[in-house]
Formats: sequence, C-alpha cells, structure tokens
Amino acid sequence: MRRLLTSKWFIVLMAVLIMLAAIVIGALPGSPLNKAFKSLGNITSPIQGFVKGAGNMVSDYWSAVTDGIAIRKENEEMKAEIARLQYQITQNEEAKIRYEELKDAFHIRDTFSNYDIFGASVLSREADEWFSVIRIGLGLSDGITIEEGGSYAVVDVRMNLIGRVIEIDDGESKVLPLLHEGFNVSGKVNEVNGATMMISGDAGLKRSGLCRVTGIDENVKLEYGTQIVTSGDGGLFPQGIPIGIIESVDYSDPMGVTATLRPYGDIGELNDVFVMVPFEVPDDVSDEPLASQVEEQ
Amino acid sequence: MNKERIALIRKIVVYTLYICLIPSFQVSFPESISLYGQTADLMLVFTVLVSYMFGFADGAVIGIIIGIFRDCFSPPLIQLNSESAPVTAFGIGILIMFLASVCGSSFFTVRMKRNTAFAFASVAFATLMYKILGHLIIMGWIALFAHQGYGLSFKQIVLGSVLPQLLLNLIVTVPLILLLMFLGPYKKGKNPKISDERSSEDVSWLSI
Repeated sequence: MRRLLTSKWFIVLMAVLIMLAAIVIGALPGSPLNKAFKSLGNITSPIQGFVKGAGNMVSDYWSAVTDGIAIRKENEEMKAEIARLQYQITQNEEAKIRYEELKDAFHIRDTFSNYDIFGASVLSREADEWFSVIRIGLGLSDGITIEEGGSYAVVDVRMNLIGRVIEIDDGESKVLPLLHEGFNVSGKVNEVNGATMMISGDAGLKRSGLCRVTGIDENVKLEYGTQIVTSGDGGLFPQGIPIGIIESVDYSDPMGVTATLRPYGDIGELNDVFVMVPFEVPDDVSDEPLASQVEEQ
Repeated sequence: MNKERIALIRKIVVYTLYICLIPSFQVSFPESISLYGQTADLMLVFTVLVSYMFGFADGAVIGIIIGIFRDCFSPPLIQLNSESAPVTAFGIGILIMFLASVCGSSFFTVRMKRNTAFAFASVAFATLMYKILGHLIIMGWIALFAHQGYGLSFKQIVLGSVLPQLLLNLIVTVPLILLLMFLGPYKKGKNPKISDERSSEDVSWLSI
C-alpha cells in the first residue's frame, strides 16, 4: 500500500483527477474556487506588468538609439503637418458651429453619443492558439461593471471593432478578440438599409487574419472591398462600428453564400484600446445612426 | 551558511526569476517569438526542460506554478454550445503544464541518461502530444457540445499549427537549455538528487 502511495504514476493520477475536478467546479457559475483562482491574478498581474514595463523600457531605449535620425526627420515633417492642421482647425471650427446648429435643428444625435468611452492599455496577448483571451487594464476599480451575459464593444483609436469584453475583474478585463472562433457579431453593409449578415471568428481563417461571414442573402451583391459595420442587432454592440472589408465571396451554394472578411483592427498591433460602455438613456431616445436619422428627417 | 542552504537559496531564487520572466515575456511580447500565426511556447518548453534535466519533483512544481501564470495571463475559453457565451476556464493551463512535466520527466530520461541532445526529442514529443491531443479534444468538444464541424482541415492542422509550433519550440529550446545549464538552479547544471541514476551505468557514449 505504501509503495502504491509513493508511486510516481499514482501521484500523477491523483493530481490529474484533482485538477480535473477543480476545473469543473471552477467553471460553475458563482463557484468560490473560481473567485479564489481569480484572486491569484492580483499576484501575477503586477509581475507581468513589471516585466512588460522593463521590456518596453529596453525596447524604447533601443529605439531611441537606433531611430534618432529618423525621429529628427519625422519631427520636422510633423511640425509642418501641425502648421497645416492648425490652419485646418480654424476652418473646421466654423464648420463645427454650423453643424451644431443643424444638429439641434434636426434633433440629430452623434452615432455613439450615449456611450461612455474608457481607454485601456493591452496588458497581455494570447499565449498560444488556444490560450487566447486578452487582458486589458480596465476593471471594476475604474467604475465599469458587466451583467451576466452582457458584453461591451472594444474598439481601436479609429473606432474599428477589435473584440468584446467578456469578464471584468478588479483592475482588468478579459477581451474576446474578433478573430476568436467564439466571437459572433451581426454586421451589415455600410450603407443605408444595407444587407445584414453574421461575422464570426473561424479557426481555419484566424491565422490569415480573416473572419467568416455567413447568413448572406443570395441576392446581395458583395464584392472585394465592401465595407461592413455592426448592424446593432442583438443589442450588444451599437450600430455603425466599422468591422472590416470583404476579402472574398463564395456564391457556389446559393442557399449558403459565405464570404471572408478582413478586419480593420488588429489587436496584435495595438497597445491601447477603448471600451464602449452604454449609459442609461430615456426610453423614448433610440440609438439610431446618423445616416438613417437624416434619412428619416 | 552551509552549502546545502546556499544551494537551496540559489534554486529558489533562480526558479522564481524564470517563473516570473518566462510567462510574462510570452504574453507581453508574443510577436517577437511568432511564426505563421503560432507563438513559441516558452512556458511548455521550460517546464519540459526542467523536468527532463532536473527530475519530476522540480518539473511538477514548476509546471503547476507556470500553469497558474498561464491561466491568469491568458486563460482558454470554453463554450458549452454555439448559443451559450464563452467563459474562461481556470485550471486547464495548470493541468497541461503538469502533464508536460510528467512527459518531460518520463521519456528519454533514465535510459538516455538525461543527455542534452535528447532534450530536443523530449520537447518535440511534448509539443506533438500537446498539439495533437489539443486538436483532438477541441474537435471532440465541438462535435459533442456545439454540434459543428471542426474549422480546420488535416492539412491546416499539420502545416499551419503543429509544424510551425514544433519548429518554434525547438528553436527556443536552445537558449533555454543554455540558461538552465549555465545560469540554472543547480551548480554545473545537474540536480545532485538525481545524479545517482547517471552514475549507475556506464553510458558515456550518450553524453555530449
């Protein structure tokens, strides 16, 4: 008996069984084990933050040494650009006043005016093709919460869709990237009353940086370069967030037209993202996009 | 301070340093160790190498701790069916890293006298097991719970997933072996507790 208990394979078997039990119990909603696991993140996150900071510092220092000449040249170009933009700003201020007057007159609201935008830095990226959740530095301590089954859109600086928040902890959130096979979003062709379709992550296309598009009506003419935005169906995402462009379309099966989409945003290239959190709006005010409201007017 | 205590402190400090650095580097700068959509799995390779070079006890402890880091930094998602929302699953990383340590300490060790060249075979074996079993489990999971087909063809799995991962893991094995041998937890890159199994037989033809 003692020999059995000290056997390596017995210990391995017991450890594996305990771990499997912990995974199952931890996956249950509201499990205390899950909370205990999550609190481990409070220990590991600062370590990773320190390593990332140190890595960035080394990288910045290296860039400062190697890119000095290029930066100087770029700086001169930027100064010229700033001068040009300053002139443009003065011109745009006049246009803005005019726009505000029209906006008031037609009761137009900005597309995303009932959303708070929270900036966050990308803390960690995917460890491999299966350990692929991304962490961002925005959490409960920043004043955002999420209901069970709820989700918030994550966009880049150009408001392109990047993914969605699936979990929020104290100081960080977990993001499901757009290319992940668990990601689904309803999209539409970026025009008034554009045809709707379903955009999903796909294991086979992920490596090429593409998404799968399904639910396309056979009469809808899609071609390379067609711009797709969120449709707003389902209520998770607001309407009108740019997703990407159509890369290819397969009309071989009229009942199941499929296409591939190349997203505008790539989380692998980003250091900062933005989370769109809706705030309470009166029931009589709907979240219609600018284009359709103008059309209604 | 006696020699044993100094050796223990060295072991703890070196392992702590590597445990902090390796998972953090993998999730912070994956683009620097990526090829064809795959990222070199430093955590897996490190765990396998520690188990291979320094034995099961070291490997299992390191594997479990690195698995915790893996789960905290970038947990996997599980989805019960196509309609349900995906949820993060904690513990899978720990299990995988623990099994990697078992794998690293069980194959090509005693018979090969923990010869450094066979460390590559051990890493290759663990990587192949991880990728092949991973694809099979996900394929089964999707078929059972989501009632969908697997999105990857056999060719895509081999050429796009298994082979690039194998190549990357073998490449990062070189610096990690050097680190463990020359800046590792043990003097001369050998764990004295398992050195007996080396000296028991004359197998000098296998050593580098």
